[in-house]
Amino acid sequence: MKNIKSEITLMQYILLIHGVQMGVGVLTLPRELAEKAGTDGWMVLILSWFLSTTASLIIIQVMKKHPDGTILDLLTHYFGKWVGKAAAIIFVLYFAVLAHVIFAREALFIQAWILPYIEVYVLILLLSIPSYLIVRENIKILGRYAEFIFFMTLWTLITYLLPLEYAEWLHLLPVLKEGWMLILTSVRAAIFSFIGFEIAFFLYPFLQKKEKASIGIVVANTLSLIMFLIITIGAFAFYSPDEITLYNEPTIEMLKVIEFQFIERLEIVVFSFYLFVISTTVLPFMFITVFCTSWLAGKQDHRRHLIWFLLIECAVVALFPPSFDRNTLLQQTIEQAGLIVAFAFPLCLWAYVSLRGLFKRRAIK
Amino acid sequence: MKRWTLSILCVFLAAFLASCGRSVPLEDLTISLILGVDLDDEDHLIISQSSPVFSQETKKNVETYQVKAKSIRDSRKHFDALATGEVTAAKIQVLLIGKRVLEHEGWFSILDTVYRNPAFSINTRVIVVDGPVSDVIFYEPDDKPQLSLYLKEVIDKNIMRSRTVVDTLQMLHRQMYEKGMTPSIPEIKKENDIELVGTALLEEKGKYVDTLSIQDSSLLIVLRDEKKQELTFSIPMTSLDIEEGIFNKNELSIDVSRVKSKVKTTYGQGQFHFNYDIQMTVTVVERLFPEGLANKGELEKMIEQELTSRLENLIKNIQKHKIDPIGLGIYARAYQYEQYKKVEEHWGEALAESSIDVSLDIDIKSEGATR
Repeated sequence: MKNIKSEITLMQYILLIHGVQMGVGVLTLPRELAEKAGTDGWMVLILSWFLSTTASLIIIQVMKKHPDGTILDLLTHYFGKWVGKAAAIIFVLYFAVLAHVIFAREALFIQAWILPYIEVYVLILLLSIPSYLIVRENIKILGRYAEFIFFMTLWTLITYLLPLEYAEWLHLLPVLKEGWMLILTSVRAAIFSFIGFEIAFFLYPFLQKKEKASIGIVVANTLSLIMFLIITIGAFAFYSPDEITLYNEPTIEMLKVIEFQFIERLEIVVFSFYLFVISTTVLPFMFITVFCTSWLAGKQDHRRHLIWFLLIECAVVALFPPSFDRNTLLQQTIEQAGLIVAFAFPLCLWAYVSLRGLFKRRAIK
Repeated sequence: MKRWTLSILCVFLAAFLASCGRSVPLEDLTISLILGVDLDDEDHLIISQSSPVFSQETKKNVETYQVKAKSIRDSRKHFDALATGEVTAAKIQVLLIGKRVLEHEGWFSILDTVYRNPAFSINTRVIVVDGPVSDVIFYEPDDKPQLSLYLKEVIDKNIMRSRTVVDTLQMLHRQMYEKGMTPSIPEIKKENDIELVGTALLEEKGKYVDTLSIQDSSLLIVLRDEKKQELTFSIPMTSLDIEEGIFNKNELSIDVSRVKSKVKTTYGQGQFHFNYDIQMTVTVVERLFPEGLANKGELEKMIEQELTSRLENLIKNIQKHKIDPIGLGIYARAYQYEQYKKVEEHWGEALAESSIDVSLDIDIKSEGATR
């Protein structure tokens, strides 16, 4: 396959995974955490980081058994052709819905914050064109794109620190307001932010230095954790714990207080840049969707599938105009599936693969 | 062939999707810079707005309207009917709230659109007007710049000099919802000119209770530990026993260069204890009495006594009204969470029952250039 030839560097691998994790969720993350766990929400993040790093390492362990193919090749190798195909269909559905949810949400955010008079399907149509131009290339281009966007948008984090002039750090105290139980039960709210590392199933065969895969995925998760922590703790210090849950997107709302002599409404500028960050989530999901469909069809070229995907996307959005409520509902559903695909599935697979290895060795003896 | 389809598609998309057709020149906009909310004598909601006029032909360069409306958004249709251009709210600099509004509970919901509509600026200064808002918003002095600029400058300057509290829409929102703090807003009044009165204090639900003078507002800022650029106190040294006369011979002014307020929060015997430890480094900038009446140590003592008694009076006043403009509830939540949680819903009463001690430590750094 054409894609097999392209390889990604460790840096691209890290930033691809990190980019996928830094999606639209960040905009609402502080509120969601505050709703569940109050100002202790940031500790929930650390716990979720631990869980998702563990799951990521399991994925790498599984992929090591069959280093030259993606998860689809691995499943075909162990369970036969039909299981591989069934898995490919499930992955297609999963990643397509994820891509749709985030793509539509991106458009909804643009409509709510920047262009209130433009229809969502027009925005989707507009977003589809650059998306097509990037996703039609191979994984290496996507890796470079993720790398470029990461460094290009890093400065937005600095603007995020500016409102902290008005922060009240006492809001964070006392640590552990309501005890450990609340934190343990709120893990579900935070763990979805880390969803996205499961693309390692598909990235692994393209990585140049495979021995660095484990360390790379830990770095990617940690990088995301640092970003989430800065944003969440910043918002918790800026807003009173009694009011933070009243804002839909506290992360953008916070930027509204920044005002310079030469520019007002900086949140629109920062948000426009943030659209690039969201694109690093959507594009890999799209890529993997069409990668799976072309694998199913046994074709080299995924461009045609991509065009179809984008056309269907536009049609769906035009026929069923998304709203925040419906989008959130769909997101919650797909997040449940995410728990299975990213956590339960690798664990079971890993157990199977290692047990099988064990039995085989015994048989040879 | 493929190239052709692609380029035709591109042209089609470019023509179809270009959506920036609705550009509005600045001259055609009526940009509200001041928004006023008030009640008339029969308790009808009055919304007023003032905006600059970009035209050489008109004599005045501002247009101001006042309408009866059900809400702020509803008022826009009345403004559109009156004003030259499309009325926009994105650049409102100052929000004036009449004191009559504040005398009714639940007025805050009127401001809902300001937070809900992303087009509103959240940095708008909020100011309380003692008297009708129309007196201020229709005021057109010959010797001042445009009213919106003038009002904003007056407020910002006094904030910089620590004479009144900062209050933007953002902060008002925080203070309204924060259970451990009650809102406080700068207050102005129109006599011959517009002047700053001090700080209006509201209770938990937003009802007006009292106004702090400019001097007391400075003390409130000390208690909040929010000193900005400058902080000055003028204190009569009554214990020096000088004849006051026409020229206030016992007056001493200090410039506070550094102030550090620490609060220790404890709970015992059924009440909260807040122990303030305030350290001030000051410079004497004015002393009307001759040298040698008091040495540095004695001066420090006298300033301490005077300021401590003023601070204690302020605290007593706050406790009397069962409000918390200082935000001591935030300290209580941070350090005595379990006890605070029990009284959270009526924190003002809990604060009124708690004991607040102030210990002030003045350090005179310099007595100025002359002896």
